[in-house]
Formats: sequence, C-alpha cells, structure tokens
Amino acid sequence: MNPAENPAGNPGVTPAVTPAVTPAATPLLSVQRLRKAHGQRLLFDIARLDIARAAAYVLTGANGSGKSTLLRMLGGLERCDSCRVAFEGQDLPLYPYPRQLRQRIVYVHQHPIMFSTSVGHNIAYGLLARGVDRRVLRALVDEAMAWAGVTHLRDNDPARLSGGEKQRVALARARVLQPRLLLLDEPTANLDGEAREQVIALIPTLVEQGASVVMACHDRDLINLPGVRRLKLRDGRLAVR
Amino acid sequence: MALLDATRHAFALLSGGDAALWHIVWVSIKTSILGLLLAAPPAVLLGYLIAMHRFPGRRIAVWLAQAALSLPTVLIGLLLYLMLSRRGPMGGLEWLFAQPGIVLGQMIIGLPVLLAFTLAAVQALDPRHAETAIAHGASPVRVMLTVLHEARYGVMAAVISGFGRVISEVGCALMVGGNIEGQTRTITTAIALETSKGEFAQGIALGIVLVTLALLMNGVLVLLQGEAHNPGARL
Repeated sequence: MNPAENPAGNPGVTPAVTPAVTPAATPLLSVQRLRKAHGQRLLFDIARLDIARAAAYVLTGANGSGKSTLLRMLGGLERCDSCRVAFEGQDLPLYPYPRQLRQRIVYVHQHPIMFSTSVGHNIAYGLLARGVDRRVLRALVDEAMAWAGVTHLRDNDPARLSGGEKQRVALARARVLQPRLLLLDEPTANLDGEAREQVIALIPTLVEQGASVVMACHDRDLINLPGVRRLKLRDGRLAVR
Repeated sequence: MALLDATRHAFALLSGGDAALWHIVWVSIKTSILGLLLAAPPAVLLGYLIAMHRFPGRRIAVWLAQAALSLPTVLIGLLLYLMLSRRGPMGGLEWLFAQPGIVLGQMIIGLPVLLAFTLAAVQALDPRHAETAIAHGASPVRVMLTVLHEARYGVMAAVISGFGRVISEVGCALMVGGNIEGQTRTITTAIALETSKGEFAQGIALGIVLVTLALLMNGVLVLLQGEAHNPGARL
C-alpha cells in the first residue's frame, strides 16, 4: 500500500502509485476497483490497494466492517463482483482465482482448523498437495516447525493443541509453502499471555524472510509493531494511515 | 413351547453348520456387499458434490435424495422386474431371477442411503476444512479426499446404514431374485418363505444371523467413533 495519505481526502481512493519501472519498485500485489455487494448493499468499493514486497500491514476497522471478507477475497475464498489485480506486475483476475496467486498467497483463519492427522502432517499438507519430494518435504517441515517452536509437537494430535499452539502450527503450515503474501485473520484473537507474545514474535520474522503480511486485527501490540503499515476499512472504503 | 423348540432347533442349525442355511447367508452377504460397492462411489461423490456446491436446483436434489430414502423396496423391485423381464429394455441381460439382478436392486436401494448420509456428514463438517485445503493449494480432488477423510466417521455410518438397509430388505430381493433355493434365496426371502410354511426354526436361525450382523457392523462403527476421539499420531 502506498503509505502516503490520500491528498484528495477521499478515504476510499488511495493515491495512485507511480508506474513502477523496476521489478523491486513494482508492488507485490496491486488491487484495483474491488467491488462487492450483497443484494443492494455495497460492501466494498476499493479504488486501489497496493501491497509492497516484504512489508507488514494491519487491517483495522469496526466489527463487521469486512476485514475478514476482504482478506478472504484476496485469498480466493470468496468472490468479488469486479476486480483487477496485478501480482508482481502480472495482470490477473481475482475470480476465478488463478493458480499463480494460489501458489503465492496463503490465507490463515482466525481460528485455524487442523486436519485430524498429526501436527507434522498438517504442516506438510500444502507441500504434499504440491507434490514436493518426500525428502525435501521432511527438511522443509522440520525447518518450519523449528521456526514456529513446535518441533516437540510433531506427532501430536492437533485436537489437543492449545489455541496458541494451533496458531503457531497454522503459521508454520502457511510459511512452509514460502508464500509471497500471507493473509492472517486476527492471528492473536483469543490468545493471551505467552501464547500471544509467541505469535506476535513470529510476524516480523516472516517479513524479514521476504514475505508480505496483511493482518486483520484489533491487537494494539500488533498494530504498534515497528514498521507495520496501517489500513483502515470504513463504510466499505479503505484508508491508509 | 413351540417358540422355545423352534429357537432350540435354530441354534442347532447354526451350530451344526447347516449347508443350506449358510449358503443363504453367503448369498445375502455377497449380494449386499457387491451392491454397496457399486453404489458407494457414485453415492459418495454425489453426496459430496451436492453438499459442497451451490447450483440451481440444489434444494430439489437434496429433496430427491432424502425422498429416495423412503422409496418402498417393493416398488424398486417392481420397476426392476419390468426392466429385467424378457420384454423389458434390459431383458437381454438375463439378470431376472439371478444374483446380478439382486445386486442391481441392492445397489439402487443402497445408493440413496449412502448419498443422503454422506451429504449430511459433509454438510455438518466445518467449512474451514475445505477452505484450509483450498488455501494451501490442494486440487479439487485433494480437497474432496481431505473433506471425506475429515467426515469419514459420517461416511462410514452411511456405509453401515446402507448395508443394514440392503441386507434387511425383502421386497426387491423377492421380486427380482425369485427366492430360488441355492441361487437367489437370501436371508430375508428365506425367513418370509419358511414362516409362511410354518417352519420357524430356519427363520429364527437366519434372524439371529441378521441381528448378529447388525450388532457387528454397529460395533465396528462405535469402535471407530471411539477411535475418532483418541486418534493416534500419523506422521
């Protein structure tokens, strides 16, 4: 997202980004004219949203403002009525959700669901879906588990994990796919104490490793993380702060 | 006293290894399992597709699937009889009064049970399972396998209920099979015949087999459901 305030004062229209001339300057994801309505009610009318490479964003807004819906649309889990996106400079539709985006963008639920296998298998799920060689897979899973601090849970039943452990396993399951963009829906919701701090500590490391992160959240500690850019949804429009 | 004597005789038949009786049991189990094996793939696939997708006419499809559960088996038997009889469109197959005809009937009877139970099991599953699979790049087939794996106890219940329905039905097996001794006589048609003749011992013996099968199948389901709450590590 262009971090500058919209000079026109229109909260729904963020300033146009000057066309990029170098790959590094091209936004990772550029969304234009995103609209979604439920019947007569217009839910979103977002003129432009640019997500920079290796950057973290928090998406705030009142309950029911559509934060989760916006993330779900960007993650290909919900349709938009009309939208144009450019991912790494390549023009793509948002619906039907293209394979190029599916391989580079991962959405994580507010309350992540675990498949009823084992923690290790859950983390390996996306790699198995992509047909990654078993030996490579094992190394990638080991590394992701170590990153999230869940190595000791490898063979555990996911149903018996705590909320914080589930969130860290879900982050490892997403990160192991080496996505360019992670969409995290309230990653610290219903977590407190050490569990919350452990999840918050993982977010900057994702960005350091080159991923961009967009988090829908109300958590002050996440919002105030150094370097995090702020997006605010209000009345279906997006403002940058 | 007649009932007591008949029951005693029934246990004697069972323990004595009465060949005719066990052949009847074998025909029943074989035709029921074959019918279910043929019904399960399309029923589970259709149940999954109806549960997971929104399309015009979906509610009608759900209604038809549930209505088919209460279709009288004797009506299915009548329709199959007309289809398979010599002048019927499938008469050339010569399946009437033969085991393939019973298997076809069992398949048609079992299909709506499997479909409706699978549909219910998949619908009851948290949609985040499918969404998580999709979000992590799973193909549509892998998403389906993942969802069915997560709903496996419901799908197993569907299979067991389907087996219970097909092995215990009498109308279709009687009309299409013809109750021919040594060929198409099943547990239920034999019970009906022996009872009409006043020969209760074999009927009771076969009834005991049916009840035992029902207990065994449901026992397996209970064990599996118990295991669902204590799943072991798998990777």
